[in-house]
Amino acid sequence: MIHITINGKVVQAKDGEMLLTVIRREQIDIPTLCHHEAVEPSGACRLCMVEITKPSWDGWCDYVTSCLYPAEDGLIVNTHAPKVNELRSSILDMFLARHPKSPEIRQLAAEYGVMKTQFEEVVDGDNCILCGICTRICDTMGFKAISMVGRGHGKEVAPPLNMAPAACVGCLSCAKNCPTNYIEYNMKNGGLTIWKKDFEMIACTECGATTITKEFAEYLSVNRDIPFDYFEKCDACHRKELAGTMGRIANWDREARS
Amino acid sequence: MKHNFDNLNLIFDKYPKTQESLIAVLQDIQKEYQYLPCEALEQTSEVLDVPLSKVFSVSTFYNSFSLTAKGDKVIKICTGTACHIRGAKLLQDQLENHLSIKAGETTEDMKFTLEVVACVGACAMAPVVVVGEKYHGSVKVSKVKKLVKAK
Ligand code: SF4
Ligand code: SF4
Ligand code: FES
Ligand code: FES
Repeated sequence: MIHITINGKVVQAKDGEMLLTVIRREQIDIPTLCHHEAVEPSGACRLCMVEITKPSWDGWCDYVTSCLYPAEDGLIVNTHAPKVNELRSSILDMFLARHPKSPEIRQLAAEYGVMKTQFEEVVDGDNCILCGICTRICDTMGFKAISMVGRGHGKEVAPPLNMAPAACVGCLSCAKNCPTNYIEYNMKNGGLTIWKKDFEMIACTECGATTITKEFAEYLSVNRDIPFDYFEKCDACHRKELAGTMGRIANWDREARS
Repeated sequence: MKHNFDNLNLIFDKYPKTQESLIAVLQDIQKEYQYLPCEALEQTSEVLDVPLSKVFSVSTFYNSFSLTAKGDKVIKICTGTACHIRGAKLLQDQLENHLSIKAGETTEDMKFTLEVVACVGACAMAPVVVVGEKYHGSVKVSKVKKLVKAK
């Protein structure tokens, strides 16, 4: 265990764990757009920037992305120093110029006092902030179906060859974790379409509600040892069943006691 | 476009079948076909055991790779800072007019592809136009037609 100071308070940390983890554990709120517990940090959004210094630095400070900066003993961290807030506003200012229509970006920018960008707004832009959460999650899940394509102005998230990705199982992890809800999918008539790929959903044998795609269920049953028929019941019906079981157990208890 | 993909195996055989070989293999494919055909990317992904998404990501990252078939001769107009100042835009207009295509396009007869690139490292000769492998320096608008005489 090591000790670092965050906003004046001395806290314990594990040597080498990322500053952001410690900051979050202390329930200090700092904005992030590219961080996700499930995947390796990538330092793409720069919003998690904090001010760090050490007594031996003679008054010097450094500004680092806390999601990628390992905690070291004696570090003094300021998560909301004036300069940090200034840096975050200018980053958000640029985000706002690039994605003026994104509600998520507008809200975050407003929190840092940026109501309107001082740069030229990108017209006809999209709401993908290129945080790479979707591609990293898909990689981590093991599907590696989508990736960053191109670079510079033309960079985007896309399936290979811009065609329905063979490797995609329609798990929706990319879409559900996108901070700006940019990834579109369509669920209707017992089917799912994402990345232009069509899937059939499994219907709950009890109530008919859809659960997950056949492909995803097959993957989970083969690779994660979850029996396939588990997915033939929806969450609500699983819970009903569980409640029924618990009720029966309670009854036995009562009977045994009486 | 139909290709003979038999040569692909010759390319694959030159390198260890690992992800580290990806760029070298793509470079060879680009050289062989003047671009990266989809089928070649799919085979590369399989042979090197690299997800197709990653192959695509790398293929679209580098300017030296192209995903569309190019003409016999690729004409690159440098629009880097030095060339820009010395009139690259005029050369581009002239070439676009002359070939009746826009930058990034290929003539219908598949003879020429016109591209704009950033600094080709020959700023002293600005403005520079690269035709095929040949660098032409201090190109004047009046000389442009001569560069594509083969048309
Ligand atoms: S839905 Fe497809 S692309 Fe998205 S995370 Fe799942 S497998 Fe990857
Ligand atoms: S689609 Fe969403 S998750 Fe993926 S890079 Fe863009 S903003 Fe991030
Ligand atoms: S959370 Fe995006 S750079 Fe750290
Ligand atoms: S700018 Fe054209 S060669 Fe450098």
